[in-house]
Amino acid sequence: MMLSEQIIPLFVVIPLAGAFLISLLGKKVKLLPDMLGVLAGLILCILSILSVRLYNASGALTYSVGAWRSPIGIEMVLDGLSVFMLVTVNLVAFCIALYAVNYMEKFTAKWKFYTLFLLMLAGMNGVVITGDMFNLFVFLEIAAVASYALVAFGTERQELEAAFKYAVMGTVGSSFILLGIVMLYSYTSTLNMADMNSVLLQKGAGSLILFVSVLFLMGFGLKAALVPFHAWLPDAHPSAPAPISAMLSGVLIKALGVYALARIFYNVLGVSEQLSSILLFLGTLSMVVGGILALGQWDFKRLLAYSSISQVGYIILGLGLGTPLGILGALFHLFNHSVFKSLLFLNSGAVEYATDTRDLRKMGGLSQKMPLTSTTNFLASMSIAGIPPFSGFWSKLLIIVAACRAEKFGYAFWAVLVSILTLAMYLKVIKFAFLGSLKDSLTRVKEVPLFMKLSMAMLALICLVGGVLLLPNLYGAFLQKASQILLLGAEYGAIFIKG
Amino acid sequence: MFSEQFFRFDNLANFVGIFVVIFSLLIILYSLGFMRKSKGLIGYYLYIILTLLASLGAVFSNNLILFMVFWGILGLLLYLLIGFGQKERTPATAKKTFIIIGAADALMILGLALLWQLSGTLQMDKISIALNEKLAVWAYLCLAVGAFAKAGAMPVHTWIPDTAEDAPAPVSAYLPASLDKLLGIYFLTRLSLEMFVMNRAMNTFLMALGSFTIVAAVMMALIQHDLKRLLGYHAVSQVGYMVLGIGTANPVGIAGGLFHMLNNAIYKSCLFMSGGAVEKKTGSSDLDQLGGLAKVMPVSFGAFLLASLAISGVPPFNGFVSKWMVYQGVIETAKSGGNLWIIWLVAALFGSALTLASFMKLVHAVFLGQPSQQSTENRVQRTEAAPSMLIPQVVLAGLCVVFGVFAYRLPLAKFILPSIGQGVAFAGIWNPNLAAALILVGIIIGILIYLLGTITASRETEIFVGGELVREHPQMRLSGTGFYDTIQQLGLLKAAYALAKRKVFDLYDVCSKITFGFVRILRYLHNGVLPTYLSWCLLGMGILFYILLR
Repeated sequence: MMLSEQIIPLFVVIPLAGAFLISLLGKKVKLLPDMLGVLAGLILCILSILSVRLYNASGALTYSVGAWRSPIGIEMVLDGLSVFMLVTVNLVAFCIALYAVNYMEKFTAKWKFYTLFLLMLAGMNGVVITGDMFNLFVFLEIAAVASYALVAFGTERQELEAAFKYAVMGTVGSSFILLGIVMLYSYTSTLNMADMNSVLLQKGAGSLILFVSVLFLMGFGLKAALVPFHAWLPDAHPSAPAPISAMLSGVLIKALGVYALARIFYNVLGVSEQLSSILLFLGTLSMVVGGILALGQWDFKRLLAYSSISQVGYIILGLGLGTPLGILGALFHLFNHSVFKSLLFLNSGAVEYATDTRDLRKMGGLSQKMPLTSTTNFLASMSIAGIPPFSGFWSKLLIIVAACRAEKFGYAFWAVLVSILTLAMYLKVIKFAFLGSLKDSLTRVKEVPLFMKLSMAMLALICLVGGVLLLPNLYGAFLQKASQILLLGAEYGAIFIKG
Repeated sequence: MFSEQFFRFDNLANFVGIFVVIFSLLIILYSLGFMRKSKGLIGYYLYIILTLLASLGAVFSNNLILFMVFWGILGLLLYLLIGFGQKERTPATAKKTFIIIGAADALMILGLALLWQLSGTLQMDKISIALNEKLAVWAYLCLAVGAFAKAGAMPVHTWIPDTAEDAPAPVSAYLPASLDKLLGIYFLTRLSLEMFVMNRAMNTFLMALGSFTIVAAVMMALIQHDLKRLLGYHAVSQVGYMVLGIGTANPVGIAGGLFHMLNNAIYKSCLFMSGGAVEKKTGSSDLDQLGGLAKVMPVSFGAFLLASLAISGVPPFNGFVSKWMVYQGVIETAKSGGNLWIIWLVAALFGSALTLASFMKLVHAVFLGQPSQQSTENRVQRTEAAPSMLIPQVVLAGLCVVFGVFAYRLPLAKFILPSIGQGVAFAGIWNPNLAAALILVGIIIGILIYLLGTITASRETEIFVGGELVREHPQMRLSGTGFYDTIQQLGLLKAAYALAKRKVFDLYDVCSKITFGFVRILRYLHNGVLPTYLSWCLLGMGILFYILLR
C-alpha cells in the first residue's frame, strides 16, 4: 500500500462516515453498530501505527483541505507530535470500542452510543491533526458536545446533573478559547498555526499575547481538568458509561486539553519563563489536590476520576519544565496514563457490570470470581503507582529526574509525594474490591464476557511492556519524534513555510 | 550485557549473593512442608523464585536505575507474598507494608535523581560524594530511607511486626527476617562506605538511630502476646545493631554490622521457621494458647533454643561475636572524641539483655511450662513437624553454632573481611574455641551431675503446684505471657506504652491521619454546586491575569 499525505484526512473521515452510517442504518440492522464501531476503531488504529512509519520515512506532511493552499485554506498536519497523539487516541479507542460491544448491552440504544462515540473520536482526531486554529476549535467542540451527550447517556438523575454541569463549564471554557482565537486572528491576520507562529516571531509578542495566554490557560486548562478548573470532572467521568469514562479520562482530556495546550503554547505562542512556572504550579496543584481527594473516595469510578486530575498534573508538570527530559517524560506519561487509566475505568466497568455497584465498601474478594479483571486491575494499578517494571514507573522516573535536573527540587518532592498517595489509593481499591473474603451478596458474580476480557487484556499487556518504548529503536521512532516537535518551539513555523 | 557499567561482582556483592541463594533454597525446602495443601502454590513458588532473582539483580547491579528496578520489584513481590496469609487482617497488612515500602522506594527515586544531579553518573562504583552540601545530605537521606524501610529500622519499621504476624511463616522467614535485612543493610553499606563520604554528624545520626531502634523495639517485644509478632519486633531491634555498626565508621564496627546482618538472617529465619512449625501444628501463634511443646517437638525446640541464645548474644554463638564486634566499634569511636559513645554502648548492652529476657519469656511460654487448656484438648495433632520443615531449622541452628565457634576462621575470614577491604584490628581477648570448650565442659559436668542425681533418688509423678494437680486447676498454670507486665506499669514507660498502643509512633498511621484531615478539608470545598465551581474558574483566571499582566 502506498502511504502518502492522502491518509491524513482519513483520521477524520472514517469516524465521521461511520457515525453517519450507524445513525442511518443502525436502528434497522442489529449487528451493524457493533461491527462498524469496532471496524472503524481497528482501521484507525492500524492507520495511526502506519503513520508512525510514514512520518519516520518522509518527515512532516501536510494535506490541504479542498486543495486550497495554506495559509488561506485549512491545513492538516502530520508531524511527530500528532502522530504520537493519533496512536495514543486510536489505540485506546479501539480497545474501548471492543469493550463496548458487550458492555453496552445493558443500555437500549446501542446505535446512538456508537454514533456519539465515533463523533467524539472524529473530533479528537481532528484536534490532533489540524494545523488551523479555528478548525481546532471546531473539532474541539464536536468532541466536547458528543461527550456532553455521552455523559448523560444513562439518563438517570445523577447522570443528567453531571452532564449539565459538564456542559455549562465546558461551554464557558470553549467560549474563552474562541475569544482567544479571535484575538489572535485579529493580531496576526492568519489562522494557520505555523503561519501564526512566524507572524508572531516577526511582530513580537505584546501584552495581548499574555492576555490570550490566560484565556487559553483557562479554556484548555478546563478541558484538561487542571485545578482550579477541574470541578466538572469528578462528576462527569464517573457518571458516563464505563467505556466512555475510559475514553474521557483516558484520551479526551489529553487530546482536547493537554495536547492543545502544549501545541499552542510551545509551537505557536512560545513559552516564557513566567508561563512555564505557572504551568509548573498548576500541574503540582492538580497533582496534589487530585491525589488527596482521590484517596478519600469510596466510589470506584470517582476515585479514578480524581486520580486522573492528579495524573494530568504530572503531565503538565513535565511540560512546564520545558527541558527535553521533562517533555519526554510528560509525553510518555500521557501515553501511559491513557492506557492504564482507560484500563482502570474498564475494570471498574467490569466490576459494575458483574456486581451492579461502584461502592468499594460493598465489594470484597472479587479476585476469586473475576480473575482476569482483578489481574488486569492489579497490573494497571501498579503501573499508575509507578512500581517497576511497569510502564508508569519509567515515565514518573523521567519526570522526577527531569525536575531535579532542572533544579526544581521542590516540585520533584511533590511529585514523589503524590506518587505515594497514588500507590495508597490503588492499594485501597485492590484491598476493598478484590482481596479479602467474598461478600455473601457477591457469591453469584461471574467474570465478564469475552470482548470485555479481550480488551482489558490488551491494555494490560501494554501496561506491562510499556517501558520498551524507551528502548533505543522504538524511542527514536516514536517518543523522541514527538518531543522534538515541542522542543522546536519558535522554529516550528519555519519548517512548514519552507516546505 | 554483564558489562561493568551495569553489573559488578565484588566481594561484598558476592558475599550477600551467596547467602541470598542459600536462604532461598532453605525457604523453598521449608515451604514444601509448610505450604502443602495451600491454594495458588504455582504463584507462590513463582514469586519466591522471582524474589530470589530480583534480589540477586539488586545485589549485583552497578547502575542505580537498574538497582531501583530490582529493588522496586522486590517490594511488589513482598506484597504479593504476604497475600498468601490466611488471617483476617492479611489484606490490610499487605497494603500497609506495600505503602511503606513503596513510599520509601519513591523517596529513593528522588534520592537517585538528586544523586544524578550531583554526580552526573549513575554508575554506583564511580559515585563518591562528600556530605558537605545540603543537597548531598538530602540525597543520602532519601536513599537511606529506602534501606531503612527494607531492613526495618525505625521509624519506618512498623510493617515488620504486622507482616510477621499476618504473613505465612516462610514468607516472614524469607523476606523481613533474612533477604530484606541482607539487602537493606547491603545497600546502606554501599551508600555509607562507597557512594557517600560520611561525615561525623551523619555517623552520629546513624548510631543514634541504631541505638534507639535497638532499645525501643526490644521494649515493644517484651510485652507482645503473639509469638510471630514478638519475633517481628526483634527483627526490628536487631537492625539497630547493624545500623549502629555501620554508623561507627571504623573497620571493626562495620565488619561487626555486616556480620550481625548475616547472623541475624540466620537465627531470625530459624526462629520464624520454628515458630511457623509450632503454629502449623497447634493452629495458633498466641502465647496464651501454647506451652509445653518441648516434649512433642524436640527438634524445633532445640533449633529455637539455639537461635534464641544466639540472638540474645550468649557466647559462643554467632550473635555474640558480631555484637562483641559492634561494641568494639562503638568503643573505638571514643578515640575521635565525644562522650556519646557511652550512650550507644549502654543502649546496645541493655538491648541485648532485654532480648535475652524476652526470649526467656518466649521459650518458656511456647516450649516449656505447662500446655494450655486448648492445646491439651488438641493433643491429637501434636507431633513433630514434617522433615522438610525440620531440615532448614537444623541447618540454620547448626550455622548459629558454627559461625559462633569458628567465627574468625569461617565467616569473618571468608566473607566479611574481604567485603570491607581493609584490615580489622580486634581489641580485647576473646577466644571462641576456648570459650566453647569451657562451656561444653560445663554442660557435660552439669549433665553428669544431673544423671548421678536422678539415678540415686527420684520418682516420677504428675506435675503439681502446692499439692494440687495443675491439670485440674488451669488458673494455677503459669503461661509466661505475663512475665514483664509489670514494666508496663512503670511511670514514664506506662505513658509510652499507652501511646504506642494508640499507634502514635506508627509513622504510617500518623501520615494517614494527616492525609485524611486534608481529604476532609478538600471535600468540604467540593460541594457540588455549579456556581461555586464556576466562580473558582473565574477566580483562577483572575489570579492568572494578575500574575501575567500586572
